[in-house]
This record gives sequence, structure tokens and C-alpha cells, in this order.
Amino acid sequence: MSTWSPYDMNGGTCVAVAGADYCIVAADTRLSTGFSILTREHTKVVTLSDACVLASAGFEGDRKQLHKVLGMRQQVFAHNHGGKPMSCPAMAQMLSNTLYFKRFFPYYTFNLLGGLDKSGKGAVYTYDAIGSYERTGYACQGSGQALIMPVLDNQLKSASPLLYPPVSSATPLTEAQAVDLVKDCFATAGERDIYTGDAVEIVVINRNGVRRETMPLKLD
Amino acid sequence: MSSSYGDINVSGGIGLDSESAPFNLELARRNSMIERQGMKLPRYLKTGTTICGVVYANGVVLGADTRSTNGDTVADKNCEKIHYIAPNIYCCGAGTAADTEATTNMVASALNMHRYGTNGRTSRVITALTMLKSHLFKYQGNVSAALVLGGFDINGPHLFTVYPHGSSDSLPYATMGSGSLAAMSIFEAGYKENMTKEEAMKLVADAIKSGVFNDLGSGSNVDLCIITKEGKEYLRNYECPNPRPYASQSFSFAKGTTPVLRSTMLTLKDVVVEEGADAMEVGA
Amino acid sequence: MQPSLPSHHPLLGPDTAILAAQQQSASASFFHNQRTNTAHQDANSNAVLAPASGAMPFTVAPPQAHAPFDAGALAFDAAITNAPPGAPNKHTTYPYVTGTSVLAIKYKDGIMMAADTLGAYGATKRYKSISRIVPAAPTTLVGAGGEISDFQYISKLLTELNDNDVIRDDGVVLKPREVFAYLQRVMYNRRNKFDPLWNSLVVGGVDQATGEAFLGTCSMIGVSYTDSHVATGFGNHLARPLFRNEQRDDMTEQEARALLEKALRVCYYRDKNSINKFVIGTVTKESGMKVSEPFSLSTEWGYDAFVHPTKHALGSW
Repeated sequence: MSTWSPYDMNGGTCVAVAGADYCIVAADTRLSTGFSILTREHTKVVTLSDACVLASAGFEGDRKQLHKVLGMRQQVFAHNHGGKPMSCPAMAQMLSNTLYFKRFFPYYTFNLLGGLDKSGKGAVYTYDAIGSYERTGYACQGSGQALIMPVLDNQLKSASPLLYPPVSSATPLTEAQAVDLVKDCFATAGERDIYTGDAVEIVVINRNGVRRETMPLKLD
Repeated sequence: MSSSYGDINVSGGIGLDSESAPFNLELARRNSMIERQGMKLPRYLKTGTTICGVVYANGVVLGADTRSTNGDTVADKNCEKIHYIAPNIYCCGAGTAADTEATTNMVASALNMHRYGTNGRTSRVITALTMLKSHLFKYQGNVSAALVLGGFDINGPHLFTVYPHGSSDSLPYATMGSGSLAAMSIFEAGYKENMTKEEAMKLVADAIKSGVFNDLGSGSNVDLCIITKEGKEYLRNYECPNPRPYASQSFSFAKGTTPVLRSTMLTLKDVVVEEGADAMEVGA
Repeated sequence: MQPSLPSHHPLLGPDTAILAAQQQSASASFFHNQRTNTAHQDANSNAVLAPASGAMPFTVAPPQAHAPFDAGALAFDAAITNAPPGAPNKHTTYPYVTGTSVLAIKYKDGIMMAADTLGAYGATKRYKSISRIVPAAPTTLVGAGGEISDFQYISKLLTELNDNDVIRDDGVVLKPREVFAYLQRVMYNRRNKFDPLWNSLVVGGVDQATGEAFLGTCSMIGVSYTDSHVATGFGNHLARPLFRNEQRDDMTEQEARALLEKALRVCYYRDKNSINKFVIGTVTKESGMKVSEPFSLSTEWGYDAFVHPTKHALGSW
């Protein structure tokens, strides 16, 4: 007899890196279930505004709903505020609230929010599935997390958020160096994590706006 | 226990006397009890796999991918899944790596012993099949080896599948492992009777690539093994369709990144170089 | 005074409170009242957006908690299941009559979709002439695998949706991606209620204005994606490898048909829940939407090793 579960794990890896004047949000484009690939070209990254990009791995049904809800709220906010988009820290708090609202039937998504804060500095927010979140200098979520996070820790060690006086958590790399590092992380995860592959979509947010580029990964 | 035909032990294949079984099961009951109380058993290396074979006009072509997985991670990117059974018989293995290795090794040495006792007469594929399936049946599926057995003997080319519970099938084309459906779709669409060697090799390589690209448990390279009356051709890494997509930037670390606590110099004299083995792949 | 729907209406389930709220907020115009039909309700009720009133701090999984208890639904349910009073509502926990894979690809002129016509009752080939590919909008086909009764209910939803377009008579009709967006929400919404529609759906069609082909698929829990080729169920294992090798968006109708027939044949060989009786549907910009009469494919069972299965196994068992 078939059993039914409201959840599925559709894989995927997200990485975000914040710099002094940029932020990178990246995710692979493979959508899978079990040992099968559903599609090789599926975006997990949504551009919410010029200052805010969200990437989520996990259950695709919840991911779509979550991205729709946040996109819609961002639009409503802009309509109510003379076209001004929500700030990235505000969006970060709202994402937390949205996740916690479903505390007992959670969105099974692993989210990274990246963007620029009010001073134009890169910001990365990392979440658990039910809304606990933290601003960091870099983060990784999803099926390749265990492979990529140690590399980021090694290359981008950032100051503890508990230090006083506070030290910037932004990474010291230039934008181009950071994009290189992200590409390397995904190429590496694609070698060893079976749910990461096909292509990686890299979204760069800086004062010129939002730019998207794609790099192919292994297809096996 | 007296010797009986089809029991691998009797030929002394694994170096035990005929009274003992190949496995020590003394602690099985204890282990299942403490497992029920919450102990986590170790995870085994599985070859989430695509393996397959085809009979053509003059022989058999076996094929395998080279990915070995441990849960969600790739444990070995270039492992060998086509195992030696006899000079004229090879066997592709899917399932738990240790089981496919041990089972094929047992049969290989049993057949070797048998050839010593029969003036070196060529082993028959049916003998290997019978040994494999009686071993697997005896352990009721607990030895998780799913096999594609191929060879050429006095009766011509043969291809068999053996399931972990001990059932077997004689087939013109066969697939096994997590990529078996992806590979089978290529066979069902492209198989013909009495193919040439080149046609058969292409069909098998296409079937393996179908597993490599459509099944997440399979990946990396294509191994082939062609067995004919004349002998075997083992084509290791016949195709390598998955190069690394991005040239890694070199990560160099300043001297002293890892503090040196103590250093000792040893002079080694005899250096043994093992030839013919595959170098371990370390490029990330 | 708006007419209130009976709270025990079997199709409405436990969410009548939300539905009633929607009715009150809607204007009293005829069309808005029409929109509170089942089609509208299934896609939009139980919205997970923050509640306007702020009364409910969390959404809670329905079956465990069953917060807004609906005595009417229980009475209906208990009557047919002999469930003890107070037992939770029993939802679809397994399918009865099922269809297997649906395959579809894009080609030069539009999309082509194929499926067999079997409705299997467990392992029985119970119904052999079931339509699993149906028109969903003027240039949109929907194909379904899974529970046939749930699919027929979905067909009803789509009919209602199209009726609304006809009533409006403004020339605006549903495009394939709109049908797809709607069905995704229906499927996801029912999974949120722990009362899934047990189907995998394929939506294919052509945007009449742009001529752009569209192909998407959605599972019973709302996992959905678009691609140049899709296949549900077993087809994802057997047909997609062939599609990934051979499908191109600019292939001709003959090539597309040959590829689909090859894939159907492979699925028929290896899927025990399939029969050799298929239909193929096409949507193109030029000639619109067609679903073929049922046909069967040639098969090959004459290989020597199939005719003499033990020939090479002499001496074993």
C-alpha cells in the first residue's frame, strides 16, 4: 500500500557571500527526487528587489509557495510606499516571521537571503526551516552544505558577531574573487554530492543592480 | 556438513574447512536486539550503480559505471564494478560493495581450484551462475549482491542476471542497479539480434551513459569488458564523459598556517612501487 | 443576504469558515458569487498568508489538530466509513483506480502528449478505455496519472474555470501557463489540507498570441517544473532518458511522433501497469488541439533467447 507524505526532498545547494559593497547569492539548478533528476534547469533563486535576493533548497512545493508569498508582499509594500522596495534587513525579518507562522507545519525549505543593507554593505541572512535566523558574512544551505561550509570557513573566516566593538562580518575578497570562490565551491560539491549539479546560477547584487550568470556543472 | 555440489565452501574457495560457514552469525541475535534498543548500525558502501550486458553475434559485452556512493555522497569516483570470475567469465556487481566483491572472489577462487582439478579445462558460465545463486539463496537476500554475469564457454556466449535473493535469468540483454531502468530504456529501444562487436559496444556504452546521466546513484566513467572465444578485452575507462567543469583556483596557504609542533626525519631505503594500479583520484 | 452554503457539503470539507469569510468580503455581483464555486475554493481557501484578523498565530496541520471541527463533514464521513464518533476525517490515503505514465514533448509546431488508456484497479486491468488526456482550455491539454476519480474531479474544476470565461464573453481565455499555475495551487492546497488529489498532472499547450509552446508537470504534493520534455511516474525513469538523448524543440511532427512511440513502447515493455492502447494529443498554433483515436504499437517478442529461455541455462535451475 502506498504511503503518503506531504513533504519531498528535492535537493539543491545555496551559497551566499557578502562583501564590502556587493553580495553574491548562488544556487545549483538541479531538481531531483530520490535518485531521479526531474529537470536540469530549475531556478531556486528569486530576485525580490534591487537589494534583495532569496535562494532556497529543500521541498520544491514549499519553495514555490514561499517565494510567491514573499514576492507578493514585497510588491504590496512597494505599492504602499511610493514604489520604494522593502529594505533587506526588513525582508529578512519578514522571512523569519513567514517561516515561524508555519511553526507546526513548516515550510521544508533551507533559505539564504542576500542583499545590500542601508549603508550599501553586503548582507547575508541564513535561516533554519522555522525562522531562526542570523546575519553572517557568508553561508551555505542545502544538500551540499557539509561539503562547502568548511571551505568557506577556511577561506572567509569572519569576525564573531559577539565581538565588541563590532567588527564587520563582510568578507575581505573582491567581487571577482568571491565569484571565483563560489564557482569553485559548486564545482567541488558537484563532484561529491549527488543532488548538486547541472548548472549553478550566480546572482550578484551591487550598487549597479542585480546581475545573473550561469556556469555549467557536471550532469552525472 | 558433507560436501555437495554448488556449495562454495567445499572447494575450499575461501580457505575455511568444510565444517564452517562463510559467515560468523554468533552475534546476529545480539545485534538485532541492541538495534531494537536504538543502536545505529554502521552504513555500508553501496554501489548505487548502472551495470549491464548484451549478447552479440560472437560474444558478450559487459558494461558498468564507476561511481560508488555512501548515502548522498560519492565515495569513489572511479571504482571498478566488473569483477573477474575466470579468464573467460566476468561479472558486474551492484549492491553492497563488500558483498559483490566477496561473492565474486569466492566464486573466482572456487573455479580456479576447480580448474586445477580438471586439467585446466575452461570454466563454464553455468557453473559460476549456479555457485553464485546458491550462495545468495542460502543467505536469503542478506548478501546484497545484484549481478550481471557474462562469459564465453564451450556452449558459446552467455549472459545472466542474478538477484540478491538467488533468482536468475538468462537474457539477450540485461541491466541491474539503481540505473537499470535508464539503461534498459536504451536496450529496449536499440537492441537487435546478432549485432557486430562495434554495435554491441556502442549500445552498452550508451546504456551505461544513460544510467550515468539520468540516475543520481550512477556517474563518472564507462567501463567495458568484451568476452569472445578468443579471450577478453577489459576496456577500463572506455569513455570519460564527465570532466571537471571549472578549473580550480589554487588554494595556497602561508607557511605556518598549521603550526609544526615536532619534526623527525626518517630515511627510507627500500621503496616499493606498485605498477598497474589506478592512481587514487585526488582532484577534489 | 447571501445564501450560505451548507456546512456539511461533501465537496467543501472543513474549510467552510474561510469560504464564508471570502463570500462576505466579495462584492455581491453575480460573477463574484459565481467565483465561490468549487474551482475557486480549491485553489484559494486555507490561504497561508498571514490572517487579516491576526486571530490565528499559527497554521496547524489539519489532521492532527482538526481545529475548526466540522460536525457536518464528520457525519458524512462516519456514515460511509463506520468511523467512531470523534475520529478524525478520513482522507484519500491510497488510490483505487489508477492510470500510469503520461509522456509529453515540445516540437517545432507545439507540444505532443501521450498516454495509454488503462484504468487499473490494483493489479487488475479494470478499465481499458479511460481518457487520461483531456482539453483543459482552448489551447491546453492536461494529462494525468494516478487516481482516476481525482482526475475526473480536476476535469470538473477546469470545466468550471472555462465556463467562467465563456460567461464573461470578453475574448480572454486561459493560456497553458495559467492553467498550470492554477493546477499547481490546487494540488499544493489540497496537500496542505492533508487531503491530496492523488495525481501527477502534465499541462501542455500553446500560447495563441505568441505561438510559444508550454510544457509543465505537477505532482500530488505540488512539486512542479517546466521543461522541454516531461514524463510522470514510471515514464520519468524509462522515457526521459530517451527524451534527454533525442528531443529537440525544433523537431518535426514526424520525428516527435516517432520519439513518443519509441518511448511508449519502452514503457509498455517494462511497466506492468500499462496496456498497448494509446492516445496521442497535440496542440499547435496552426491546427489547434487534437486528441487521437486509440491505437496500438508493434511489439517484438521473437528474440531467440525469449523463445528458448533455458537454452543457455542447461545444468542449472
